[in-house]
Amino acid sequence: MMQFMTVFKREMLEAGRNFKWIWVPLVFILLGITDPISTYYMPQIIESVGGLPEGATFEIPTPPPHDVLMMSLAQYSQLGVLVVALMSMGLISGERKSGVAELVLVKPVKYSTYVTAKWGAVNVLVLVSFFAGMLASWYYVNLLFGDVSFIHLLWTWFFYGLWLLFVISISVFMNTLFKVPGLVGFLTILFVIITSIITNIFSHVLDWSPAKLSGYIRTMLSEGSIPADLWGTALVTIGISTALLIAAIYTFRTKEMA
Amino acid sequence: MTEVFETINWALVAPLLVIQLILQVVALIDWFRIEHTNGPKIMWLFIILLLNMIGPILYFVIGRRQD
Repeated sequence: MMQFMTVFKREMLEAGRNFKWIWVPLVFILLGITDPISTYYMPQIIESVGGLPEGATFEIPTPPPHDVLMMSLAQYSQLGVLVVALMSMGLISGERKSGVAELVLVKPVKYSTYVTAKWGAVNVLVLVSFFAGMLASWYYVNLLFGDVSFIHLLWTWFFYGLWLLFVISISVFMNTLFKVPGLVGFLTILFVIITSIITNIFSHVLDWSPAKLSGYIRTMLSEGSIPADLWGTALVTIGISTALLIAAIYTFRTKEMA
Repeated sequence: MTEVFETINWALVAPLLVIQLILQVVALIDWFRIEHTNGPKIMWLFIILLLNMIGPILYFVIGRRQD
């Protein structure tokens, strides 16, 4: 545990020095507030862009508040995941390439400690940033569109946070498999895309696939109660993430820093 | 066009601009301090300065050396 905290603190320090603690939260806030604002100003934007024939009017219905919150979530599922994958691609592979990993591991630091501490540090950074982003999005939705209860925001953060945790676990696993950061980033994104494609194809069988988290969150927000499927999906997501993490420790150990 | 500017509530949009500014400034500070970037260093200066929003993010994600 002491060891874990040491490696963890070192990661935190490094994230601070790299400005990660500044830019990752800011990017997440940016992703969160762009959609509420642009949806709110959509009529004006269309008007100023022009191209409509004279006298043409059409009503754009104001979307219900929870739909706008879901738009922000859709941003995270695309650009957010991209940022997470690219940010974490050098996590272990970069250190192996530059030899820092060897410097750490000649000391009596367990492989498992090294991997889990790094995984934990990225998770803290991403989940805090995601919370800041959701909070900003929620604030704008309440201001411009109407009430979404804070409890629902917290649940949305919790359940969608699991999806981000899943992405980070994939990234850590890929990090232990390959030494080239670019390849790690690419494979992580590919893995996420394949997960969604498989979920779409076998939609009727894979009721609890991690890729379905956002769909169930939408149901939760519109109906106001947590569907049972959401809990199942959450459990499966945690399970797969744990399995990936254990696999990551295992491959890291057997690869012998090759 | 001026009408559009008047109808926009700037208090709403200001945070976007502030965040964009902070990102740009932080990216610039980092650009000054860092020795090597991925690709020519001067290229990243232009990317940070000229591409709104995306420029600084691109710099942090791709421009900084991963090792």
